[in-house]
Amino acid sequence: MSILQVNALVAGYEPGLSIVKGASIHAAEAEIVVILGPNGAGKSSLIKAIAGLVPITGGQVLLDGRDMTAVPAHLKIRQGLAFVPQTENIFPLMTVEENLRVAGGVLPRADVAPRIEEMFTAFPDLARQRALMAGSLSGGQRQMLAVARALIVRPRVLVLDEPSAGLSPKLVEQVFSRLSEIRQAGLTIVLVEQNARAALAIGDRAYVLVEGREAHEGPAKTLWDDPIIAELYLGHRKEAS
Amino acid sequence: MSLQFLLDGLIAGSMIGLGAIGVTLTYSILRFSNFAHGDFMAWGAYAALAVVGALGGSTPIAPLSFGWPLLAAMVVAMGLTALLALVLDALLFGRLRARGQSIIVVMASFGASMALRSLLEFMFTSSPTYFSRAIQMATPIGFGVRITADQVALLILTLALVTGMHLFMQRSQRGREMRAYSQNPALARVVGIDVAKVIRATWIIGAALACAAGVMVGVLVQIRPLMGLDLLLPIFAAAILGGIGSVPGAVLGGLIIGLSEAAAVQFVGAEWRAAVAFVILMAVLLVRPMGLYGVAER
Repeated sequence: MSILQVNALVAGYEPGLSIVKGASIHAAEAEIVVILGPNGAGKSSLIKAIAGLVPITGGQVLLDGRDMTAVPAHLKIRQGLAFVPQTENIFPLMTVEENLRVAGGVLPRADVAPRIEEMFTAFPDLARQRALMAGSLSGGQRQMLAVARALIVRPRVLVLDEPSAGLSPKLVEQVFSRLSEIRQAGLTIVLVEQNARAALAIGDRAYVLVEGREAHEGPAKTLWDDPIIAELYLGHRKEAS
Repeated sequence: MSLQFLLDGLIAGSMIGLGAIGVTLTYSILRFSNFAHGDFMAWGAYAALAVVGALGGSTPIAPLSFGWPLLAAMVVAMGLTALLALVLDALLFGRLRARGQSIIVVMASFGASMALRSLLEFMFTSSPTYFSRAIQMATPIGFGVRITADQVALLILTLALVTGMHLFMQRSQRGREMRAYSQNPALARVVGIDVAKVIRATWIIGAALACAAGVMVGVLVQIRPLMGLDLLLPIFAAAILGGIGSVPGAVLGGLIIGLSEAAAVQFVGAEWRAAVAFVILMAVLLVRPMGLYGVAER
């Protein structure tokens, strides 16, 4: 059964100018779903609309069967949907610990300190930097902090917008390896990525979004080998073997 | 040479700094320059005056010129001024802010400022008034400096308010939320911060501190409908000098402006008071455009 169900979603920043034009996706429990597509396909707008940051003008977002379409962004995290934006996904003028603490504001007060320590155990690199300003972290550490900040509330679904953006290949490997580990704990992950190869390597299923709606859906492992999809949407030609 | 100007500057700077905290918070969180902020000071002072009157006057606690009724009135007036700010936001600023054009909100704050000032003149006349007309004797404390008991009390009150404010912003969840929202409003919403509560807290804190500053001006100088307008430019200078969004910066900026104004009166002439403060402001901004405690945009 799908934990996240998006039905015929229409969304855009300006009234009458939809960027997402009827996209439908779903994600099952502990599944990694990758959303790919050419630039301007509406990938980021789709997940921002799911997170409540882009106005939705049609369709539905269901989380575990509950209608989240009209739920404001700040309440979605309480319902179990966490979002990590592509850039500016930390508070740079707060310490690493304060970043976690401010996100823990939706938790019961007694749970905040243990959850912060839980995150520092899961991300030991962050634990060593806990008193540093988050703005002084490296790109990879920032991304880890953004993920830890989202995980502190133990969401059911984690939605990420291009977590590999701006990272070196080694750091991309680390981030994606960590996402695989997080999925092992039962979390559903929905991922928008330009780095198709890395994302499909850890994904279970993938969608290719074109002009605001899904044009193709399939198992992540086989999508990379589909010559038509590869040439049309992923920017490479798969040689016949 | 008398060092009295240092004490005068410190006291003036304390009041400017308290006012600048509200301006810096409003600018960094609500993203507009609120030119009605000075009028919150005047309204706060008049509200305290009205409450003291309703309480039957203030019997002084020697050697101060005021007593517990004024302190109680100040607390009530801080609440009333916060209420005024919330009503203004609900009726005016919030509606314009929702349209996303901050220049319109700034212009609306000019209008609100004039309306608030005119209302005070209508209700209380433009003549100055006082919490107490008693003359206080200043005590010499060395180096030619003399200080009154009221000045000591108000410096202690300023220190307590600024310390409390700093602890609130650093240690409380709401304070952290306000800082987070000022850095990145969209991310703040994503992490579960209720924007409406942050905005309410910003108005309440800013207006309450403006009221406290207004009462202090009323105790040490006089109460006039124009008192907020007179302090508006030094307050904005202090907020910019300290670095927009920084509470310690606003206080330090206030002290620098207060001290430089007092020094100008002492060494150059009273007519240069405002000019010298702004020369220092411009000099600091040329060297450090983000202000003393501000951080450059990344």
